[in-house]
Amino acid sequence: MSEIYNLSAIEIRDRFLKGSISAVSIVETFLKRIEKYDSKIGAFLKVFPERALSQAKKLDERLKGGEKLGKLAGIPIAFKDNIHVKGEISTCASKFLTNYKAPFDATVTELIEAEDAIIIGKTNMDEFAMGSSTENSALQKTCNPWDLSCTPGGSSGGSAAAVAARLCPLALGSDTGGSVRLPASFCGIVGFKPTYGRVSRFGLVAYGSSLDQIGPLATTTADAALLMEVIGKHCPRDSTSFDEPQEAYLDKINNRPEGLTIGVPWQFLEELAPEPKQIFNQALETLRTLGAKIVDVDLHILKHSIAVYYILATAEASTNLARFDGIRYGVRSSKAKTLDEVYRYSKEEGFGPEVKRRILLGTYVLSAGYKDAYYKKAQKVRSLMIKSYEKTFTQCDLVATPVSPFTAFEIGAIKDPLQMYLEDIYTIGINLAGLPAISVPEGFAKDGKPLGLQLIGPQKGDALVLAAAHLYEKQSKYNLAIPTFVK
Amino acid sequence: MKQYSAVWEAVIGLEIHAELNTKSKLFSVAPNRFGDEPNTNITEVCTGQPGALPVLNKEAVLKAVQFGCAINANISRFSTFDRKSYFYPDSPRNFQITQYDEPIIRGGTVIAEVDGKEMGFAVNRVHLEDDAGMLKHFPTFAGVDYNRAGVPLIEIVSEPCIHSGKEASAYALAVKAILQYIDASDCNMEEGSLRVDVNVSVRPKGTNELRSKIEIKNMNSFSFMEMAIEAEIKRQIHEYERNPDLLPHLIIQQATFRWDVEKKETVMMRSKEMAADYRYFPEPDLVPIVLSENYIEEIAKSLPELPLQRERRYVKEFGLTPHNAFLLVSDKKIADYFEEALLLYNQPRLLCTWITVEFAGRLKETGKNIIDYGISSVHLANLVKMIDRGVITGRIAKTVADDMMLHPDKNPELIVAENPDYSPVHDEGEIETLVDQVLAANPQSIADFKAGRDKAFAFLVGQVMKLSRGKASPGVVNDLLKRKILG
Amino acid sequence: MEQPGLKPLMGTMANLTKQTIQNLIKLSCIECSEEEQERLLIDLGKIISYFEMLDAIDTENVAPCNHVLASVVNVEREDKTGKTLSRDSFLSNAPSQIGGLIRVPPVIKNS
Repeated sequence: MSEIYNLSAIEIRDRFLKGSISAVSIVETFLKRIEKYDSKIGAFLKVFPERALSQAKKLDERLKGGEKLGKLAGIPIAFKDNIHVKGEISTCASKFLTNYKAPFDATVTELIEAEDAIIIGKTNMDEFAMGSSTENSALQKTCNPWDLSCTPGGSSGGSAAAVAARLCPLALGSDTGGSVRLPASFCGIVGFKPTYGRVSRFGLVAYGSSLDQIGPLATTTADAALLMEVIGKHCPRDSTSFDEPQEAYLDKINNRPEGLTIGVPWQFLEELAPEPKQIFNQALETLRTLGAKIVDVDLHILKHSIAVYYILATAEASTNLARFDGIRYGVRSSKAKTLDEVYRYSKEEGFGPEVKRRILLGTYVLSAGYKDAYYKKAQKVRSLMIKSYEKTFTQCDLVATPVSPFTAFEIGAIKDPLQMYLEDIYTIGINLAGLPAISVPEGFAKDGKPLGLQLIGPQKGDALVLAAAHLYEKQSKYNLAIPTFVK
Repeated sequence: MKQYSAVWEAVIGLEIHAELNTKSKLFSVAPNRFGDEPNTNITEVCTGQPGALPVLNKEAVLKAVQFGCAINANISRFSTFDRKSYFYPDSPRNFQITQYDEPIIRGGTVIAEVDGKEMGFAVNRVHLEDDAGMLKHFPTFAGVDYNRAGVPLIEIVSEPCIHSGKEASAYALAVKAILQYIDASDCNMEEGSLRVDVNVSVRPKGTNELRSKIEIKNMNSFSFMEMAIEAEIKRQIHEYERNPDLLPHLIIQQATFRWDVEKKETVMMRSKEMAADYRYFPEPDLVPIVLSENYIEEIAKSLPELPLQRERRYVKEFGLTPHNAFLLVSDKKIADYFEEALLLYNQPRLLCTWITVEFAGRLKETGKNIIDYGISSVHLANLVKMIDRGVITGRIAKTVADDMMLHPDKNPELIVAENPDYSPVHDEGEIETLVDQVLAANPQSIADFKAGRDKAFAFLVGQVMKLSRGKASPGVVNDLLKRKILG
Repeated sequence: MEQPGLKPLMGTMANLTKQTIQNLIKLSCIECSEEEQERLLIDLGKIISYFEMLDAIDTENVAPCNHVLASVVNVEREDKTGKTLSRDSFLSNAPSQIGGLIRVPPVIKNS
């Protein structure tokens, strides 16, 4: 049973339901692993041993009593620390919220607990989800389990590292410009971003409201599909969530997609270095052997996606974060004497440098005299990007790209903010168009670090994306590799 | 148009904020109630908790459209919400959700009564937005109560087509009446469910220029508003006239004033050297409102009788003057009260006089209207019945009215029954003595009347009534006088 | 894809001045030290210059995208009250409270 951490979430659940292992035993196993490895990895900001064990105990009793349990029964799951668990602190990895107890559960929290999963802790992230490496956390450092000197990617780095290191089989992250997919790629696991509006944002601390989606991080596509079955539901408390029935993603991933046409935007990928290009090509070859046709598609407009994203996301964020002012909640500056000082000093002390930069940038692009040139322009280019994708999906079923131009970089290697922004070049356009996309492990570079293949679907094509990724994964099996450090 | 001088005319615009009387708030399910303990009518949405999201209240949309139909405005088939950013403690998110670019209502006309005539005032737009909380000021700190935060408001913006304090009052009264009749708002200025801000500027008569305007806030009654407007017009004219060599924009600079009730003058709150940059942009958390022709037609069809229609009906059916009819209909409760009394005793003009003149005068100091004061429509009808049937004289009726003011719940018929003094004297003998006295003292009047002047007769009647201290029966007096003079 | 004759709307790095930074700081109510302001001038300048690439795209007759799911409209709820936040829960996160109110330093009366 010491290898339970090697099992997928579904396998763990099935063993629990069969009675081969107790929920308490499952939780204890993972708590021990967290204790053993997380001091070096730093994935968790907070672990909930009492809460998790108490829930596990109750589950064991209920199973014994013959009760029918939920789809996620017995599965420990970690939440990125910008997703509310009522009564627990949501820090968003910011000094501002180190004392903020979430007064309500996120919708995903309610849905997940209703299916009897066990929330085992909250994970580290870039502060307020602003970042691509988790280095912007104001609270702690997270290291990549494949190479502790490297970042796990971001902003859902904690969740990705936790799953990669088998500290828990499932985790939730949030993805605004690639924040689930990039860490999945850097950590060699599966990360899925649903179609915008598929998963409720109620209870997710907002960063880029028109871009944010909560998504699963897992070691297998089936696990991701299972979690999507639970959280992919219309929410009346989120006006942007679309009203369509839940989909049986887990069933559907076994529908082998026949005659798949996969588009690759070669022109857009022309700057890819030889090694990632070769590994990406290998992945495409695997897809060909699985019956897919690879075609060239034109998505050159995506070259502008970073500019568009950083105008729109920061504009939204500048207003979403305005509420953090030291008045109603959060840390109020102790040196503030006047009202004006409460605002200025609380924000000065509470926000890290990247957050400040983005708030100021967002304020700039919305300010009088600049709004037309920046914000409105970006909104128009966004329309063009959506049209471009729509056209592309008349030529193919899915689009494939690498998730990242390279493997996980060293902590501290990228100091220039703009350079950091350019990391997201392949992932960011997807959020602008609201499309579903997945990162699935496609191999290892010579430096031993993983790379991810990105499959992108049309709006509401979540099932197809998961199915195609599942097909690929069964063949390539890179997701089964475990970092040496935590074996 | 009011003549301020041969040279100047005033240009006034009104912004009226009315709280809609929905059960729940605009974007939050907290109760929309006034007067409860602070911070007890709140949810995560209206206190700006991170992770909370707005969901639109359909009843607020309905009431806004009803108002739009009532003023024959253009109902937007497509309208959206925007974020308006500014920092203030009563704002839970430091941005208000309003409608800037695409309001739900555009244009429209409000017909009000000015000096007995109907006058049309153009409306620029009407839009939905959420209210802020309340800031309570204390010597060494301030306290914030978010009960009001999130309450639905409609903001009604007039064109600058108002030219005097009186017109402003008439317009505001007409708007208030419409809101009352469609049951959209409590329209209580004291409780803050109706707020009026005015913009005042002056210009040389006959020109089209729009000079710097002064905004005046904090007027909590229409009469104060009228006073404030008139004072401000005078002030601006004075300033322009005593600085003939300066350019206009240097004489009056845009600023915000508040009305000081004690000093009875406008006091500057803040100047507008730095116009606020609200950085409006489309609210990403809310989706557009798309209204069908059907929806709008249904609402237009099912509007109740509006104040203007009611006023015209009163003029036509009851022969009331437009001025009096407007007085009655301007408060729906009073108009309903009038019609209740009318059902009991069908003398509309007399009832109208007693409501709008006699009792209104007596009630002025109490600050209450006849209904709140407790004089029932039944009792009013009884009073009028007694007058009309000659049971009491007009003069005695005034005394009875005074008694009703002291004992509002007392039936005037009872008051009269208990007071023998109130019943007119029918004794011919008693009256004859007085008649003889009067005729002896007024030979000229007798001559005048015989010469054909009816006024002289009325004078003689009046003299007899005076001598009898109002107690003589007018009928008997009339008969006796005629007999004695004409033989 | 350069569009000849298209006038660039955006400023270059040169247009971002210390004054602009100070204005942004004022608008967003964040205190920033002198050094931070210097740093921001450089960092934001670079990023804003990067945005200039959008100038080259012709968006003359393009409608802005305000919602990525164009089909989602008219999301409304019934006018019913629902679960509220208890005052205790709300105030338990407050940095300062008094008599059931959120307490802040005294405020100049402003509307």
